[in-house]
Amino acid sequence: MKATNWILTAFLVFFTLTTGAAQTGSTDFMRSMGKMYVVVAVIVAVFIGLVLFLVVLDRRLTKIENQINDHG
Amino acid sequence: MEKLIRQYWWKALGVLILLYVFVVGMLVPLKPGITLVAPSSAKTGQELILEIEGYNTNFDKAEDTLRMWLKMDNERSLAAKSIDVIGPRNARVAFNIPDYLPSSQRVQDFALVIDNPIDGASVRPNAVLITQDSIDPDQGIQQWVNENMTGLHEKQGITFPFRNILGETIRNTYFHVSLWLAMMIIFIAAMVYSIKYLRRLDNRYDYWASALTSVGLLLGGLGLLTGAIWAEYTWGKFWSWDIKQFTTLIALLIYMAYFVLRSAFPDEAQRARISAVYNIFAFIALIPLIYVLPRLTDSLHPGNGGNPALGGEDLDNTMRMVFYPAVIGWTLVSSWIASLLYRTSQIEEYLWDKWDEDDNYEK
Amino acid sequence: MTICYLCDQMNMLQQTMRLLWRDWILEWRTRYALSGIVLYVLATIVLVYSALIDIQPKVWNAIFWVIILFAAVSAIVKSFVQESQSRQLYYYNLVHPLALLLAKMIYNTSLLFLLSLLSWGALALLTGNPVKETGLFILAIFLGSMGLSIAFTFVSAISAKAQNSATLMAILGFPVIIPILLTLVKIGANALRLIQDTSISSDILILVAINLVLLSVSILLYPFLWRD
Repeated sequence: MKATNWILTAFLVFFTLTTGAAQTGSTDFMRSMGKMYVVVAVIVAVFIGLVLFLVVLDRRLTKIENQINDHG
Repeated sequence: MEKLIRQYWWKALGVLILLYVFVVGMLVPLKPGITLVAPSSAKTGQELILEIEGYNTNFDKAEDTLRMWLKMDNERSLAAKSIDVIGPRNARVAFNIPDYLPSSQRVQDFALVIDNPIDGASVRPNAVLITQDSIDPDQGIQQWVNENMTGLHEKQGITFPFRNILGETIRNTYFHVSLWLAMMIIFIAAMVYSIKYLRRLDNRYDYWASALTSVGLLLGGLGLLTGAIWAEYTWGKFWSWDIKQFTTLIALLIYMAYFVLRSAFPDEAQRARISAVYNIFAFIALIPLIYVLPRLTDSLHPGNGGNPALGGEDLDNTMRMVFYPAVIGWTLVSSWIASLLYRTSQIEEYLWDKWDEDDNYEK
Repeated sequence: MTICYLCDQMNMLQQTMRLLWRDWILEWRTRYALSGIVLYVLATIVLVYSALIDIQPKVWNAIFWVIILFAAVSAIVKSFVQESQSRQLYYYNLVHPLALLLAKMIYNTSLLFLLSLLSWGALALLTGNPVKETGLFILAIFLGSMGLSIAFTFVSAISAKAQNSATLMAILGFPVIIPILLTLVKIGANALRLIQDTSISSDILILVAINLVLLSVSILLYPFLWRD
């Protein structure tokens, strides 16, 4: 549970940062350097997606372990 | 297969390939290009002064050898009268536009071509639209001072092509487009396992089908998410009901329905059989969705209606060297994750069967 | 395959026709689908008319296909779902399973085609008929009712195996028929001359191709579905 919370928080922070950066001021961070940071954001999103998937698998395994413990 | 999923070489291979894709995909620079030409329209019989902004260019280092042309067609081009270099990325160039153009159109588009030995040649299509007050092609041919583009240079070293709207996001070919192809491969594998299940009625094939489908959903979801991030900074909106976004969403809904269907059956054999049937049906229904419908309507997505994207001239040889490994790498890593899910399902089945037997024994 | 008692006496085509006839007799006795759809069309038109007063051809096109979609769902959902397990078992012992599927598909196609013509008539009576190319529109209606029937019949055969299958049928069915619906709306807009398109024949071909593919996949997969 804790891990999911952490990752969800990281995800939200990432999104607020990127969208916030896009809206603040005249110097558009995300579109600077030929939109290089869009590529960075895309890679970060893919990475976060993979990690979230791993967390789901982790929790499924934890559930099995708990069941093994219950059955003695 | 049982042996293969416990071996490490293909997992390591997948990771190494992706590492290569990340390093090369991020580090190889873009070919110099032209991001801005202002003004974008002009009239005949004037001296036209253009402000030019380049990308990855070295105008200052190549000041003496810098050459520019306005190109009308393959035979006709107009050389620059004078070039002022302002910085490595900025220059001001003057052209003498004749009174008449050798064209019977009122408005003629010109491409801007820049060449120097350091950056090589770069082109901006439709850079300037020139309007002529009166049309007289014969006089236009007489007045035209043609200067052919000769001795164009090639940029030294490995580069990715520069495309106008895309810019650096052409690298998304490796992190967004390749996810797509990997997803299709994974979904095809899931369908093959569903067919195998229907032929042999072996539970292991069902576990493979469901594991592969959920990884395919992950790839599809990431494809949609990365596409939305790109769209936010290119089209201005995360979601704009572009036909590609829409069909992708529907495709994901079809496969989400697969898991809804699975959860509706408590009996294992019935669940496996009916979800296998639906998986095959879903894949067949996906084909018109992804490949036929985007051709029916206009799309702003790269690759449609003159928008630059992969395929044809857009995916050059350098990009191929990264793009195909990217597809293989994503597929291998996804298969690794799917094999983990498969092994988890097998352990669950083993334990539940064992506990069921124990319960029966106690009774 | 279980023993099929009628298989010796009739070939599959005869079985299909017999089942089709039975479905029509049942519909004629209750007039369930027919009366339901008339009510539905009337309610939709009254609602849209009172909200918009003036129904533009563009809106007409959308309303028409929405009516057809929901008519298809409400008419087809009962083809497998509403027959009890024991009665289905009885059929399966009596006839070839493919005959059952084909009979349902042909029945649903014809019913939906009829319902579409009826709702077109009702819409035309109440709001005027904006259809400029009648032949094209009838072709679209026919191909559309065929596609919707094939997809929904097969999906209802899948969802009939589960509890609360009506909901499941909607979840499974809607994404599958989206390509058919989008193509139908486009052909409809052409028939109303809202857009002029030279590639209309390729749209029709796409629709025919989708129908054929879905039909052949259903026929291939149905033998794995019915036995329980």
